[in-house]
Amino acid sequence: MSADAILEVADAVKDFDGLRAVDGASFHVERGSITALIGPNGAGKTTMFDLLSGFARLNTGTIRFAGRSIGGMAPHRIARLGLVRTFQLTRVLAGMSVMDNMLLAAPSQPGEHLPSLILGPRRARAAEARSRADAQALLETFGLRDKARDYAGALSGGQRKLLEIARALMTQPSLVLLDEPMAGVNPTLGRAILDHIAALREQRGTTFLFVEHDMDVVMSRADRVIVMAQGRVISAGTPAQVRADPAVVEAYLGSASPETTA
Amino acid sequence: MSIDFWINVGVLAGIYGIFTLGLQLNAGFTGLLNFGQAGFMAIGAYTVGILVVDRGWSLWLALPAGIVLAVLAGLFVGIASLRLRSDHFAIATIAFAEIVRYTLQNAAFSGGNQGVLGFDAEWRAVSDWMLPWLATIGLGAYTQLPLFIVVWLAFVALLLMMKGLQATPWGRVLRGIREDEDATAALGKDVFAYKLQSLALAAALAAVAGFFVALNVTYLYPTVFDPTFTFFGYALLVLGGFASYGGVALGSVLFWTLLEGTRLIETSLSAGQQASLRFIIVGVFLLLISRLRPQGLLGNVNEMRVRP
Amino acid sequence: MTDTTQTERTEARASVLSSALAALPRPALLLAVLIVLLCALVIAFGPVRALQATVNGFVAGSYTGLGAIGLTLVLGVLKLVNFAHGDLLVTGAYFTILFAWLGLPLPLAMLTAMLATAALALATEKIIWQPLRLAKAGSLQLFLSAIGLGLVLRFTVQFFAGSQVRTLGANVVTSIAIGPLRLGTLQALALVVGISAMVIVGLVLRFTSIGKEMRAFADNRALAEVSGIDTQHIINVTWIASGFLAALSGILYATAIGSFNPNFGITLLLSLFAATVLGGIGNPYGALVGGLVIGLSQEWSTLLFNARWKPAVGFALLILMLMFMPQGIFGRAKRRS
Repeated sequence: MSADAILEVADAVKDFDGLRAVDGASFHVERGSITALIGPNGAGKTTMFDLLSGFARLNTGTIRFAGRSIGGMAPHRIARLGLVRTFQLTRVLAGMSVMDNMLLAAPSQPGEHLPSLILGPRRARAAEARSRADAQALLETFGLRDKARDYAGALSGGQRKLLEIARALMTQPSLVLLDEPMAGVNPTLGRAILDHIAALREQRGTTFLFVEHDMDVVMSRADRVIVMAQGRVISAGTPAQVRADPAVVEAYLGSASPETTA
Repeated sequence: MSIDFWINVGVLAGIYGIFTLGLQLNAGFTGLLNFGQAGFMAIGAYTVGILVVDRGWSLWLALPAGIVLAVLAGLFVGIASLRLRSDHFAIATIAFAEIVRYTLQNAAFSGGNQGVLGFDAEWRAVSDWMLPWLATIGLGAYTQLPLFIVVWLAFVALLLMMKGLQATPWGRVLRGIREDEDATAALGKDVFAYKLQSLALAAALAAVAGFFVALNVTYLYPTVFDPTFTFFGYALLVLGGFASYGGVALGSVLFWTLLEGTRLIETSLSAGQQASLRFIIVGVFLLLISRLRPQGLLGNVNEMRVRP
Repeated sequence: MTDTTQTERTEARASVLSSALAALPRPALLLAVLIVLLCALVIAFGPVRALQATVNGFVAGSYTGLGAIGLTLVLGVLKLVNFAHGDLLVTGAYFTILFAWLGLPLPLAMLTAMLATAALALATEKIIWQPLRLAKAGSLQLFLSAIGLGLVLRFTVQFFAGSQVRTLGANVVTSIAIGPLRLGTLQALALVVGISAMVIVGLVLRFTSIGKEMRAFADNRALAEVSGIDTQHIINVTWIASGFLAALSGILYATAIGSFNPNFGITLLLSLFAATVLGGIGNPYGALVGGLVIGLSQEWSTLLFNARWKPAVGFALLILMLMFMPQGIFGRAKRRS
């Protein structure tokens, strides 16, 4: 185990309806890294994200995040610890404005709790003003500033993806799980998303773990790559190491190299 | 005669407005399909009636007690069933309302079908104090006017309170849950706790409505709190507008004016047939509005989640 | 993936109970529990009272089970919680009165009533449910439409027939003695017809192609659609079956109980929901078994409590099932995607 791992998964097992979706997976994610999680369809990547974010419960095994065991913890508690996810199919809150989507994600808003709201409305308003400024800045970064007042449901598919990522960052996370951030997004926008991710890692030291099928992106943008197949981690290392690993080539069903299955 | 009739319609509109504020909070702003609101109303009303008649409590102390008990019932129902899928939750809340009605009908403490009588002396004292004052402006002849005034003051105050709450970060979390509870949980919000608060607050509003029902009918019996009245609440909610507190006021006034107004139409039908016809009209109305304008008059179609 | 957390948690709660019981096949386990309960009641109250309650329980179980099939199929196939289903039972009973009044002999009036109710159920599909599906109506719209339809049906009946208590007009007060047990002739008839109907329905679902398709559809709609089943045809048949069996259930209820008013459907609805949840949503066999369990529990409870608490047993079972076994007694947790 690396001394500077922000996330450590050991022997994770998850059964669904008699099927073993995750079968003894172990890996770690280094603090401040951009790590890709790849693997053929049905490898258990999305189930792994569900386990990490608390949306599914481990059968056995452990998950440690920033030194704490988070296996079996409720999703909102994990999110409050700084581990935030996005979903494969974007989940913007369509009936709320873009700005409200962002403000909802603000981490410590006393106005969200009835007692502190009633006893200290001024503190709630002050927190709201701070959050609004943060949200404006993030929306600016992601090119959504003009859309702040629109309903999120009125955004295009790519804009929704941006909003979901911006909203996840609004929680001031230390680890962000991105489930296929590029899916359904045009290549230009996709590159912009990746640039933002790289910049945020530089500025804030945020760690990113993302699932992606485009091998060019994985190989060019990730510091480390974790490969899953049939519920297990079969390889992990730098892009070059993983690319050279025969087990990885094997897993992608006899194809010459991972690139061709993108 | 006719003015008394319309004052009564106004009282009903106010009471069901308060009742439906809770449904709006649940369905319109939290995405919770609570079909047990009539049960909470019954608990509030019967608590008041029984505490005053059997225990000799003051009416004004019994009101908060009724609210507290309804809130406890809301917490109980919520803890038991809020984790269920939404269709199971709807069935569970209907079952709760039926259990309440059934218990009131059969248990000894609630007087069974004989009901509870004689708890409103303190209210009549207030009413009698208001009437001469109303007489000075020429309105002393209308005996239900004091109740109308008090109900509508309460309704408007509660409506403004709910509107205010909805505009806070707390209300925003509820709307997030309505839109997508998993996404909201993924942002660090304790979805269950918020749903529970929403349900408990709706139960409190139902208890206040129940208190006024008790004052209005002066006599509590189980069929006053038939679960069907929750459906009336939803009918006026979708008439006025989904996710709009102003819509509740508009919907309640329109709904009761139209429904009670049918009483004034001269027909050769028997009283029973007229009563049936009124329910048929409510049913047809629910079918039509669900199809033609699901967001209601003042509702915002963007906030009406369209999902198969 | 929408309800993953909820499902997960309910699963976790249910698993404490179910893991202990998982070793046995569920139907055998259920049968064993029922036999043990019956034995306990025989010891406590004597064989005559216990068996009498059991026979009554089968009568109640047959109309509850048959009524619940339509509810569970509509819920499974269309994802529609049909709050109007209880009122279809009422419609069936009152159609019988109408056709008998028009001069048909009673058995023929009953059959015509079942066909008419089936036609009515199909008409609601065409007029209400199909357009709502096409408009991608949300769950609140569907709930309110079902409630609206229920009000229209119940109060249309009440408009024409009044709210007073009625009978089907064949009030025979004779009774049959089977050893020490006594059973009203009409109840016996309802019992025979009800049990045979349950067997027939079971066979139809098991062996006919339409029955198989309906079960496949209710179990996993996406999979069934991919395998090339004619969706709208299945939906139409579901409504026809739902209406027909609802009317049969309503007529059996009316026959067995003797007197009724237009409110009996809404009163019975929660028992039907209980049978549906007990048997697992979308599982028609489960609904039949669930109905029998509800009927037996309600009648057995009269040995212990005042008979007026009978409906409360249905509510209690419903709530307990929802809380601890929302998948039903035969259900298993499904992976949602």
